[in-house]
Amino acid sequence: MSDTEEIARTARRAAAACAGLDAAGAARRLAADGILGLLAPEETGGLALPLPAAAPVAAADAAELLAFPLVEALLLARLLAPLAPEVAAAVVAGEAVATVAWRGALRLAENGALHGTVGRAAMAREARWLVAALERGGAALVDLRAGPGVAVEEDPSGLDLERPAALVTVGGARAARLIPDGPEWSALRADAQLLRGAEMLGSAERCLEAAIGHLSGRRAFGRPLVANQGLRFALARHKLALENARHALAHALAVAGQDPRGRSIARLVARVTAAEAGLLLCEGAIQLHGGMGFTWDVPLHRHLRRVREAAAQCDPAGARAALAARLDEPAEEEREWAA
Amino acid sequence: MTAIGAAAAEDALPAAGPAAWRRAIRDWLEANLPPAWRADAIAPAEPGLEELKAWEARMYRAGLAGVAWPKAYGGHGLTLREHLIVSQEIGRMPMPESVNSIGKELAGPILLAIGTEEQKKRFIPAILEMREIWCQGFSEPEAGSDLAGLRTRATHDGKVWRINGRKIWTSGGFRAQRCLLLARTGTLEDRHRGLALFVLRMDAPGVTVQRIRQIDGEAEFAEVFLDDVPVEEADALGSPDEGWQAAVRVLEIERATNRMYRAWRLENELRHLVAACRADPNLAPLLADPAYAQRLAQFRIEIEVLKRYVEGVVEDLAAGGAIGGRGSLIKLHWSEAHQRFAALALELLGQAALPPAPEVRAAQRRFRRIYLRARAETIYAGTSQIQLGIIADRILRLPRAA
Ligand SMILES: Cc1cc2nc3c(=O)[nH]c(=O)nc-3n(C[C@H](O)[C@H](O)[C@H](O)COP(=O)(O)OP(=O)(O)OC[C@H]3O[C@@H](n4cnc5c(N)ncnc54)[C@H](O)[C@@H]3O)c2cc1C
Repeated sequence: MSDTEEIARTARRAAAACAGLDAAGAARRLAADGILGLLAPEETGGLALPLPAAAPVAAADAAELLAFPLVEALLLARLLAPLAPEVAAAVVAGEAVATVAWRGALRLAENGALHGTVGRAAMAREARWLVAALERGGAALVDLRAGPGVAVEEDPSGLDLERPAALVTVGGARAARLIPDGPEWSALRADAQLLRGAEMLGSAERCLEAAIGHLSGRRAFGRPLVANQGLRFALARHKLALENARHALAHALAVAGQDPRGRSIARLVARVTAAEAGLLLCEGAIQLHGGMGFTWDVPLHRHLRRVREAAAQCDPAGARAALAARLDEPAEEEREWAA
Repeated sequence: MTAIGAAAAEDALPAAGPAAWRRAIRDWLEANLPPAWRADAIAPAEPGLEELKAWEARMYRAGLAGVAWPKAYGGHGLTLREHLIVSQEIGRMPMPESVNSIGKELAGPILLAIGTEEQKKRFIPAILEMREIWCQGFSEPEAGSDLAGLRTRATHDGKVWRINGRKIWTSGGFRAQRCLLLARTGTLEDRHRGLALFVLRMDAPGVTVQRIRQIDGEAEFAEVFLDDVPVEEADALGSPDEGWQAAVRVLEIERATNRMYRAWRLENELRHLVAACRADPNLAPLLADPAYAQRLAQFRIEIEVLKRYVEGVVEDLAAGGAIGGRGSLIKLHWSEAHQRFAALALELLGQAALPPAPEVRAAQRRFRRIYLRARAETIYAGTSQIQLGIIADRILRLPRAA
């Protein structure tokens, strides 16, 4: 797998082949295509590719409504490789499912015991490993099968049907490994937002295609619905939002390596535009489908559910506030020229 | 005058890399642009037409115009990537708009694309040296959005072409020496077929220009009456049936690469607004007000997105690709974003402390003008509705009937 196109094709095929499989089955299937090790170093069986290589994979996972915490697997395999190589290798090989709790933080007691509840952990019920932030900074790798000290339940703030979010309560279990509060941990969170962006755009594109298909096929008032200018213009605006976000995301991914702490203006711009486009296109597609859009069987709501969660993780309001506080600051490329 | 000149264009670039080239351009502009001409000047002075022509001719000699045009026609023979660098530096400096942007950005490229060798030799250097200013004669009273409905007629009398009709909204028509004219050689029913491009001399017999006053009180555009105006055979551009394709190409350029500096100029506007607000006791706290902060951040986002589009177009064109319909995405994006920003700027600056400080007055003057002029940005080069239609038809390829 070398060029983007080929990665995208492979990812689409593999994601489609995962339909109906549980997380463990999907892990094995994805690993067989080499997808889970895209970002991991070669020592753990990975391909050590840079972050942009993972974007088409994330987009394909969204388009196919893949029931697997793929972004987590890709990034955890990279993060854990030096700290817990055996776990990283198991993730790359599809032998273990790992996930991340994107909300909240655990308390680390003097004696090394972990306490507290963290949330938005995709598919934690089916996972073996969880990475959760620590209140004092850094994170902990937790074995979810460790025993009575760990409880997993539904996270009622979640919407995603394929990758249900979980609350994980830890009452005294110990960390399998501590992850230092360094650039690698910051990068995991910052890069996850960009890959969520890619997922949102994958869903958005699917929803736009669906809306075009529906409006082109359905007739009313003696002509196809799509012949109505109001609808054509709505679709054109969706396309503009999608292209805006694509341009912003591609740039943020391309410069991500120069900004390991994830503070670039490019990332902030990508987070806002991807979240906005994702929501506009998914919600818009439901509207453009009429009553059909409101049905369970039409999967638009599945995309919307995923996009809502991804958008929350991208925190567009926070990104916008951060941009507002940095209005005088030149964009990264300009600083480079000045240097 | 410090000229970086052709020497800089040719030697500095490969030798010292794009950073040195950029630095040289920035320094040259800093050293040469009269400070009172800057749009953020506290004591501004409006340059006259002759001053602007002289200034632009100097910019050309310093290597800042015709960057990517072939040397054979007076260009500097560099690539679009260098043109982008120059554009970024021009954008960063709030200098007066070119009085010959139609010559440099629309007529020039289309001449280079479809002109004869003789035409290129005759017209291109005159554009760069600012000896000939161009205008664009496309729109008519009965043909704006529906450009293919234009009625201005070109008939061949056996010796020359004779043009009869009327053009309207012709920007800079009153100061132009040449007009890039779209006229009909066939019948009205032919629509897109039977259109041709001509180079019209604005001092030819039968040309009457009447300026039209616009919403900001200026009269930058004009109505042009054409009464049996002769056009030499040698001034027909492209083949007689190629006119529509060539016109579409002109419009694509107009939407995608025209004023390549725009994103960087908008950034300059944003910074100017923020600086002016910081200088005012009423406005400084508003910058932190979440409602305003969000809208300012939004414009920053939109500027960054515009940069990405422009860089993408440059990369694609450098790789031999075409602009295509995406100019419509770009144009729709920036024009609406800029209108929202201009309204925000007015809204903020209208709450300044009294009496306003000099830098606040300067910003108020600048943004009042920007606000009014921005009303046209969703109209010219194809209205927003037309851009949406192009995206629907040509990019999404939505069917019309089935
Ligand atoms: C400042 C300025 C400078 C200009 N400079 C030049 C120049 O140098 N050379 C030149 O040739 N032209 C120039 N123009 C003209 C410009 O290109 C036209 O004004 C523009 O194409 C719109 O045409 P119109 O004015 O005839 O409006 P119309 O086409 O009559 O449009 C009126 C309204 O109807 C809408 N509309 C039209 N058709 C449709 C449709 N199919 N679906 C939905 N809505 C539609 C339009 O969007 C608009 O809102 C300039 C215009 C301005 C404002």
